[in-house]
Amino acid sequence: MTRNVVVTGMGVVSPIGADIKAYWDGLSSGKSGVIRREYTLGENLSLTLPTAPVDGLETRIANLGRELMRADRFSQLAILAADEAIENAGLEIDDETGGRTACIVGTGIGGQTTFDNGYHAMLLEGKRPHPLTILKIIINAPASHMSIRYGARGPAFAISSACATGAHSIGVCADLIRNGSADVGLAGASEAVLSYGSLACWKAMHILAGETCRPFSKNRNGLVIGEGAGVLVLEEEERARKRGANILARVAGFGMNADGKDMINPAVEGAAGALSLAMDGVTVNDPHSVYVNAHGTGTLMNDPTESKAIRSVFGAGADELIVSSTKSMHGHLLGAAGGIESIAAILALREGVVPPTINYDEPDPDCDLNYAPNKAVERKLDLAVSNSFAFGGLNAVVAFAKV
Amino acid sequence: MAEIEPTLLEIIKDHAVGLVGAPTRETQIADLGIDSFSIVEIIYEVEEKLSVEVPFNANENPFGEMKTVGDLIDALTELIGK
Repeated sequence: MTRNVVVTGMGVVSPIGADIKAYWDGLSSGKSGVIRREYTLGENLSLTLPTAPVDGLETRIANLGRELMRADRFSQLAILAADEAIENAGLEIDDETGGRTACIVGTGIGGQTTFDNGYHAMLLEGKRPHPLTILKIIINAPASHMSIRYGARGPAFAISSACATGAHSIGVCADLIRNGSADVGLAGASEAVLSYGSLACWKAMHILAGETCRPFSKNRNGLVIGEGAGVLVLEEEERARKRGANILARVAGFGMNADGKDMINPAVEGAAGALSLAMDGVTVNDPHSVYVNAHGTGTLMNDPTESKAIRSVFGAGADELIVSSTKSMHGHLLGAAGGIESIAAILALREGVVPPTINYDEPDPDCDLNYAPNKAVERKLDLAVSNSFAFGGLNAVVAFAKV
Repeated sequence: MAEIEPTLLEIIKDHAVGLVGAPTRETQIADLGIDSFSIVEIIYEVEEKLSVEVPFNANENPFGEMKTVGDLIDALTELIGK
């Protein structure tokens, strides 16, 4: 018997809104979460650059409880998103269902703030490392905290595939449910790397935008790093229907592969292959009703590569469908990107509104699709696809269908 | 070096989420409500504030035969006196 997987809850912490309602308000109004900010470490190290932080979470984090107060920020953001997703889903996890509940939650990098502060204290100030350092930095920390907090005792682990982490986590969790390893799961990712050391390393790669993120625009010059988390509640469809859950979308397809070519440069064949796998078995009657939430980093290489990949999979339909990069608003959340962008895709599907690609002011002949420039577009949608293509050539694409 | 008893009582107080009021020598360790995180943090803070190395292995029961906060103070006093 085929087990279908549906989305019954969503939770988000993003630079343009720290819950689902605020996030959608931000997405649909073209809000920018990018600001220029100074990051310091100790008294002598400082770096100022555009980033997309999440401010004003102090009270919510303080209310998470004693154990999470001592966790790294990437775990705290993940739990804030998961709390909202569970509440949104009306999900009750008891002793019996807990054993069938998965937590597949990843991160691209992990406890970077803890690393930064720890190394600074140890190497520059001669202090001893804090004894909880390891528990803070391990990338499975969010998955572990969730399993403890909610009593979820099914499969629980972190996936890490740089910028494809969130999409891999959602797709793999859906597969676990489809294959019978779990009936319900928390799936997504978090990232919190806005610290001096991490940003200095990103800057050293020479791929950060000088001012802001301009995906698919000819004058684009790089990405802006953001922080946040996005978590979905995925559920076997029959179970969801029996408990009267509000079904937000169906996981219609998932494709993953690797370029096998280059650590930095993306490959059209790899991206197209993952997208094609996600679309395998998905019927598209009208390409006009398809929305692709693009990886759209705003780098020189990604955007034309991704555009070509979309065109190669959809053929003539590529001129009918609509694409946007919400990274233009919330920045690049690295591992968490696929989490919050899947949520953007599902919200667009439900609301019939495509969030714009903001900061788009100069067409590029190499990026020749409809990118919903600068203003949200009302459109009846049947399918929303979230693309994630990571450094290291790891690709993951999730497709969500209207229910 | 800081005085052992008030220093340890202050450290424990910050972590004793299960306790109403301040801990004393007579307080039972079991009543402190100390979680796994707090045990390693308490040891770290004791080492930092009292400049002592606590011979603790996380694979063992951290409290051994000790039952009260007074037992902890006595053990620490003995350790520092060595």
